[in-house]
Amino acid sequence: MSLPKRIIKETERLMADPVPGISAVPHEDNLRYFDVTIEGPSQSPYEKGIFQLELFLPDDYPMTPPKIRFLTKIYHPNIDRLGRICLDVLKSNWSPALQIRTILLSIQALLGAPNPDDPLANDVAQDWKKDEKGAIETARQWTQQYAK
Amino acid sequence: MNLLQRTACSFADSGEQLDPPIAPSVLMVDDAPAVDPPEKGPLGAHRDARELVRLVQCPCCSKPFTSPVTLPCGHSVCRDCLPSPQPRPNISYPNTPDRQLAIACPTPTCAAEHPTGECNIDVTLAKLMELIKAEVAKHNTAVGDNPVLLEEFLNYSSGPVGEKERGNRTAHQRRLHGGRLVSTFVMADMGELHHTSDVVYHPMGEDSEDLDSAVLERLQDVAHRELDCLVCYNMMLDPTTTACGHTFCRRCLTRVMDHSNICPCCRRDLHIPASLQDQPSNERLVKLLNRLCPDLVASRAAALSLEEQPAVDELDVPLFVCTLSLPSMPTFLHIFEPRYRLMMRRCLEGNKQFGMIMYNRSGALQGDLGASSFVEYGTLLEIVNYELLRDGRSFVETRGVSRFKILAHGMLDGYDVGRVERVEDLSLAQEERLEAEERLAAEATAQETRRINPDAQLSAELQVNMLSTQDLLVRTVSFIERMRAHSAPWLSARILHVYGGPPNDPALFPYWFASVLPIAEEEKYLLLKTNRVRERLKMVNNWISRIEGQRWTSGSSCSIL
Ligand SMILES: [Zn+2]
Ligand SMILES: [Zn+2]
Ligand SMILES: [Zn+2]
Ligand SMILES: [Zn+2]
Repeated sequence: MSLPKRIIKETERLMADPVPGISAVPHEDNLRYFDVTIEGPSQSPYEKGIFQLELFLPDDYPMTPPKIRFLTKIYHPNIDRLGRICLDVLKSNWSPALQIRTILLSIQALLGAPNPDDPLANDVAQDWKKDEKGAIETARQWTQQYAK
Repeated sequence: MNLLQRTACSFADSGEQLDPPIAPSVLMVDDAPAVDPPEKGPLGAHRDARELVRLVQCPCCSKPFTSPVTLPCGHSVCRDCLPSPQPRPNISYPNTPDRQLAIACPTPTCAAEHPTGECNIDVTLAKLMELIKAEVAKHNTAVGDNPVLLEEFLNYSSGPVGEKERGNRTAHQRRLHGGRLVSTFVMADMGELHHTSDVVYHPMGEDSEDLDSAVLERLQDVAHRELDCLVCYNMMLDPTTTACGHTFCRRCLTRVMDHSNICPCCRRDLHIPASLQDQPSNERLVKLLNRLCPDLVASRAAALSLEEQPAVDELDVPLFVCTLSLPSMPTFLHIFEPRYRLMMRRCLEGNKQFGMIMYNRSGALQGDLGASSFVEYGTLLEIVNYELLRDGRSFVETRGVSRFKILAHGMLDGYDVGRVERVEDLSLAQEERLEAEERLAAEATAQETRRINPDAQLSAELQVNMLSTQDLLVRTVSFIERMRAHSAPWLSARILHVYGGPPNDPALFPYWFASVLPIAEEEKYLLLKTNRVRERLKMVNNWISRIEGQRWTSGSSCSIL
């Protein structure tokens, strides 16, 4: 199956005009599979962290959203232990007019603004609500420990 | 203005210095309201300057579009050219605010009224117009030379219609600059060039051919950039505009609607049937693309048709992984998964056929396919009835056409596709030969067994092998008769209504029998691998023996069958 023009163009644009703090590089043997890194946003507990993610464009992309998850361990109320991300644009609010770039920006924004009211990782969300300071401190420690 | 004056005009054209307008002979025809060159093909910047400007002229005010609205009928007009909305009496459903008022369509060929909710700015065309106007403005101020005298040449029908069209229009004349293309656009923008009119150019200075070409190239560039589809990132093919004013390739929009009923750009509800059957294309954008980038349109259409119809040795059979279907038998499907909606639509546009295969529930190895998630044999189905529901789901009635074996498979847009090999019965001659050989061998074995031990019980397999193919059929038919006499529920009127009565053709009979008989699909599946009628009838007889055995051992006449 040849690669759709859309994926080729998106990849070209990601290479030619990368998003600051984000990189996405396709595998040579599978151009639908990307190695992604996202830098933790400043002023967040994830600051200075470099997070590895994997991103896969399914067969019917862009009709269905990219499949994406964190490979780096992260302490975040909207990201579970398997690295799965609770983000509306990756699920019900996906639209074919969105793209890899916008999705990665949304994920970066999610690091800057955790939302414990819409949790995926329930235990983390509870900690976050009970003791936000402590949770942020844990997130910072995890970032130092794992996101190098 | 009258016919005489027109003649005078075309007479003037014969002067040496003047370029003739497009085919003067056409202008002489009374009832030709406008000169429309062939629908497709490239336009020359200099030669077809008038035609190019007409592409962006509003059919109401004749000026280049300002904030254009593309109506549900596919025509575009400036927003300010829409008549004022009127209440719609006697309409109570759906009665949403955006549908309580409607405008009478101002375009000449559409008599419909369009609800105001469906009269939104055409985002793509509006943006394109802004860019075109900016481009023209650049050249209009930058180039003070290349003066040209433009003479409007009115076109209208003859007779009373023409009288009305003509009204009190007068032909305009203007001395403008910037070459033909820019000056024609400017004249239209001044409101001095009716959209049906033609123009006679009287060059006043040096030739503007190079300049016109340069301007057109810029405009083509702009169009090329702006007319990319946000779904496929290709140049729009058959642009189709939603009520919210967003435009996509028709194919992309239908694919979007397989998955959701909201616009990819603005997320507003798309209140259109998912098939887009009655959704007209965006007439203006189609024309613009065909006239500005004909080569790109052609290559894109060619690439797409290649994509939609793979070559013969490709993975050209769509595979529906769902249930067991059998040749000549009906299968009823309720399609709701987006990927299968797409598959069905492609089938309907193509040969109406697709392959049906079962899941490999037991996990058994499937020949060359190995541990595949579906079985290697299936049935090619043909769609005989298709009912599309408003929400995009559909009910499909199919009939088994033939059997196949999967040789290779892959994915296409989320569903399986395969290269298949037809599974066929052996020739009748071989069928006969094999029957004879089998029966002779069985007979010999039976004799030998009896010779050794006259009371020996012959194996079930041997007994079946000794039977003639005709006897196998008779046994099956009589079994059915017995079951019918017992009012077996699997022979109820309802089931017979769906599958019909037993077919006369012994080759097909087992498929019918398997369709009505309540046994595991995995057992029935074995019929798909057979290449002889006899083989199938033997399978059927084995089922019967087993069922009857169960009935006898259970000692009850209240069998579940
Ligand atoms: Zn209309
Ligand atoms: Zn107008
Ligand atoms: Zn498209
Ligand atoms: Zn929209």
